[in-house]
Amino acid sequence: MKKHFTAIGLLLILVFSLTIFSGCAEKKAVVKDETAIQEQKVAAAQQGAPAAVTTDDEAAQKAKEAADREAALKEQAAKEEAAKKAAAARAAWAKKNAEALLDLNLQNVYFDYDKSSIRPDAREILKANAEIFTKNSSAKIVVEGHCDERGTAEYNMALGERRAQEVKQYLVNLGIDASRIETISYGKERPLDNRSIEEAWALNRRAQFLLK
Amino acid sequence: MDKKYRLATGLLLIPLWIFSTAGFAAAKVYIDIDAPGFQQFPIAICDFQSPKAGAGALPEDPAESVRRYLDLTGIFRILDKKSFLEGVEPGSPEVIRFSDWSVIGADFLLRGHLKPAGAGWSAESRLYDVTRGEVIFEKKYPLTAGSAQAPGLSIASDILLALTGDEGDFRTQIAFVIKKKSGSDIFTMNYDASDLKNMTNDHSIVAAPRWSPDSRYFAFTSYKNGRPMVFLRHLKTGKEKVIASFPGLNLCGSFSPDGKKILLTLSKDGNEEIYALEIETMHLKRLTNSYSIDVSPAWSPDGRKIAFVSNRSGSPQIFVMDADGENVKRITFEGSYNTSPSWSPRGGRIAYEGLINRKYQIFSVDEEGNNLIQLTFDDADNEYPSWSPSGRQIVFHSRQSGKSRLCIMNANGMNLRVLKESRDFLVMPSWSPRSGER
Repeated sequence: MKKHFTAIGLLLILVFSLTIFSGCAEKKAVVKDETAIQEQKVAAAQQGAPAAVTTDDEAAQKAKEAADREAALKEQAAKEEAAKKAAAARAAWAKKNAEALLDLNLQNVYFDYDKSSIRPDAREILKANAEIFTKNSSAKIVVEGHCDERGTAEYNMALGERRAQEVKQYLVNLGIDASRIETISYGKERPLDNRSIEEAWALNRRAQFLLK
Repeated sequence: MDKKYRLATGLLLIPLWIFSTAGFAAAKVYIDIDAPGFQQFPIAICDFQSPKAGAGALPEDPAESVRRYLDLTGIFRILDKKSFLEGVEPGSPEVIRFSDWSVIGADFLLRGHLKPAGAGWSAESRLYDVTRGEVIFEKKYPLTAGSAQAPGLSIASDILLALTGDEGDFRTQIAFVIKKKSGSDIFTMNYDASDLKNMTNDHSIVAAPRWSPDSRYFAFTSYKNGRPMVFLRHLKTGKEKVIASFPGLNLCGSFSPDGKKILLTLSKDGNEEIYALEIETMHLKRLTNSYSIDVSPAWSPDGRKIAFVSNRSGSPQIFVMDADGENVKRITFEGSYNTSPSWSPRGGRIAYEGLINRKYQIFSVDEEGNNLIQLTFDDADNEYPSWSPSGRQIVFHSRQSGKSRLCIMNANGMNLRVLKESRDFLVMPSWSPRSGER
């Protein structure tokens, strides 16, 4: 019985080898041969492997590797394709989003030191922002109040809230529904510019806007 | 001419006369550390004498620990052991030549012996008044085999109690905020800067850490839920709950002296106002009413008054009002930026930070707005003062050339020492009550 199996195995390997050399290795054949190799290997292990079989085994191994490479290449190509598609989709989305954000053109407004009153230069900005808010009427508006680094954290949290509230009131006066506007103070905890100079402080004393 | 001279001399002598009478008046308490002319008290602390060899493993000598703790108080000058004239010979008779101690400048002297007591050891300690040549107290302290830190602390506490009438701040902690680029968290450490621990670990924005007077609760503001809310934590169980999450700002203020209420700054009614929240019932009462910023409320130790910051007169200044919000009175008038009021536990004085010559410095003023004293003068920005439970020390944040420090000074601004230093911000220190009060 065992001998019979070995004979079939050897025959199949011979056929397989010929097929390889003839240069038309089909996947089906390879799979079939693999089964044969398995059987042959089992047989060899049980009988003690003859030298001739080892040579044939190497050939089969090479064939298997070739097939594996092919499969791997195909898989990789598919993966790359998918990644390309995803990247393209992401880029398109980011572009669209960036355009949308650019379209919104929401600008910060700035404040004087230790003040929460709306400066003349902030009025035009708030009017422009109010128009954007009106166009995007379904979105909620978050007004963030910020301060420069000077002074107490607690007082600055209060001052930042005051700034956000003043901006909110200004927007309400411009016709924005108060229930759409939320305020949050970050005090001096989220500066735009970390330097300790007037230029940085002026940039940090601000109200910032978010739509959500 | 001669007459005028004599008058001038007389006038100069008046303050001296006042001081000496004050000294006599305080007969029982040896050190009047609150006198304006207070000098540190020189004390000699001898190594404890131990029995001759053969007595087995000796416990650690508590003397060094006593020196370290007394040094922390800022009111003692610990004399160098090398200056001692009297040799400490083991087993020498209990005769003290006080002249040997007064000549090196010691006003007080601590001597002691380590003696076997039962299964363990005992540190027999005697505190002497060198100038009077008297024993002030004599006491035995049990020693364990390990560290002498605990007995050292007890001895130092008793010395302070005997000399000042107050046990001091040894058994206290300081909560503070470490602010990093990645976010900030609240930490606690012991008064001697040991045992640093995380109180929060959210890398969020945190502010205003506050202890309840009985040390049962700890309150603070955190942005960990996305916006500022006030949290109350039960320290024993670690259970935490949100006690203020109104629209807008929710900032934590101080507890009432009975621990039943907590002051808050809320902007829910349109602008920042001060409210008192009853912790048990969650009943909220509004105390201020002005279209301006009212923030940073601090309750007086007798519960009658509240100090706070308001910009109702144009710039941030310290105000005092009755606990029900009546009788609002401005108490700071110098400078255009006065914030962070902290009320001395002994009453009377309020410490705060003020802007002077483009630097923030610590000041103290009485509750009527009189007797203003500047306490820090260096080239740093000094902020966030918080009093120790004894009312004799103030912890604050000091920042200079990129370095952040937590410092302690005496209530009169003397004897500044650095508790902790970092490149990160170490801000908003808050001194705990004494552990005995927990």
